[in-house]
Amino acid sequence: MPPRLRPRISLLPSGPTPTSRPQCLLRPSPSHRHFSQTTPHYEKATRMRRNMYKWINGPGKVFLEPLPGSTNYMSAYDKDGNLLRARKGGDEESTPGSEEAKALEEGKQAEDGSEKPKSSEEELENLDEAAVAKKEEDAKKEQIAKSIPPEGKQDLQPFPLNAQFVSQPVLSEELREAIWKRVMKDGVSLPTVSVEFGVSNERVGAVVRLMQMEKEWVAKGKKLVRPYAEAVMAMLPKTPYVAKGENKRPVNHESINDLIVHPATKQQLFVPVSESRHFTREDAAKAFHHTLLSADDRIPHPELVVSEREAQLGLSNSERVAAASARMLVERQRKAEKEAKRKEWEAKTIMRVPGRRWDFVFQDISVESVGKDGRSEKGVGWRYGIPHEDRKRGQVKIPTKVDG
Amino acid sequence: MVLRIRLSRFGKRHDPFYNIVVSQARTARDSKPLEVLGTYDPIPQPPPPGSVSRRAFKEIKLDAARARYWIGVGAQPSDSAWRLLSMVGILEPRFRVAQIKQQVVAADNPLAAVDAARKTAEAAARKAKKSAAKATVPPPEQKA
Repeated sequence: MPPRLRPRISLLPSGPTPTSRPQCLLRPSPSHRHFSQTTPHYEKATRMRRNMYKWINGPGKVFLEPLPGSTNYMSAYDKDGNLLRARKGGDEESTPGSEEAKALEEGKQAEDGSEKPKSSEEELENLDEAAVAKKEEDAKKEQIAKSIPPEGKQDLQPFPLNAQFVSQPVLSEELREAIWKRVMKDGVSLPTVSVEFGVSNERVGAVVRLMQMEKEWVAKGKKLVRPYAEAVMAMLPKTPYVAKGENKRPVNHESINDLIVHPATKQQLFVPVSESRHFTREDAAKAFHHTLLSADDRIPHPELVVSEREAQLGLSNSERVAAASARMLVERQRKAEKEAKRKEWEAKTIMRVPGRRWDFVFQDISVESVGKDGRSEKGVGWRYGIPHEDRKRGQVKIPTKVDG
Repeated sequence: MVLRIRLSRFGKRHDPFYNIVVSQARTARDSKPLEVLGTYDPIPQPPPPGSVSRRAFKEIKLDAARARYWIGVGAQPSDSAWRLLSMVGILEPRFRVAQIKQQVVAADNPLAAVDAARKTAEAAARKAKKSAAKATVPPPEQKA
């Protein structure tokens, strides 16, 4: 019986091998091991492995140096590594996609040529040349990025098989800076800024808070992780900042006046109402819960509805502006009064005693607040004979409000 | 029986919180008191972000008028209650670390206490003499 030894055949395809392919694939098995002649699994060049290297050196090469100003998701490129949106716009020949393809081809040819042996001097020269070439390439790439049309919906799908998932834009650095400036430097109210930039109230608040923190850190000399932030921002679609003088329409980041679903309105309700009755939104809110406000009052920007109503009534632009500014003035006065009242109360009831490490803040209260039977919820202090409910279901322990 | 103004501990493990109460001295610490005068939160709170002082603070709620009344009718504050009440000016401040240490030394060693008392008296006399001399000497501008 002949020995069952298989001749070692190279499983790699013949022809020019790409330089980036690892050389270890053809490593011979150690000579002292006589018992097994099968190729270990990690040395086998399977079809999948071959395809992977084919992709890495072919269409996948575009991801090695990502296109600036683009999300660079896989679905933005076709099977051959051409940018889809670049091909769609303009002529076939002059498109940057085809240029890229040409460049790729040139690169391949260069690689084929580079297999010849070289002396060290030549290599040094080549290094300098390579540096210059890289710079040129970068400049060229930026130029290409500028000439490419903006990203469409197809370019914003990070998962090629999940068409429903579309990357949502984040606020660009400039826009965040502008928001912070408008609130903190110009002193414009938060809802106004929200309308101005098309960013929701909550997000404006968060941006101002975080930017303030960042500025404080910078002032303290703390180091920021800029490279990380830049890398992440480069991968995400962004909402640009359009300055006022630019003669462009500002880009809305999100819809700002969505009605937040109140848990009380989630139940299905059948309310018998006589036909003659006008059943308004206020009535609907009352039907859900006796303290629930109507939808008109629960939206984030009721002032937008008012101004739209005025437009429907046929008021001129100047009249509407005047009315809006009058409303803002009233609101500002109301706020100022509230603040003055709070200060008055503080002066009357709060006393601050400075200590060495912390202050002692005394608030004057009344013992009468516990009520006649001493069991009122409004009473000051831990209550006697009433169980503590912090382990009960549904107790919210995460703070729902942030100061400042 | 003596009435005391004292703290009774509520809150949780590692999360103390006190009621400032008026109660009979012999009753249990956390038993139902005659009256709850206020609360004392001994955990310092971080300063709010927009605050001017930027200092941590401890929150105390107190019905000062009622505390005055109870002291007026003979309630005896405990040491910690005394410390708090003296901060708002209801009582004379009594608890300073140096003072307390001196008192402890005095209790341990009566002779040393007498010595210390004499020394402090002498120092006070010297200070008084100096201030008197200063007052009698006219300022230099008037001399010229």
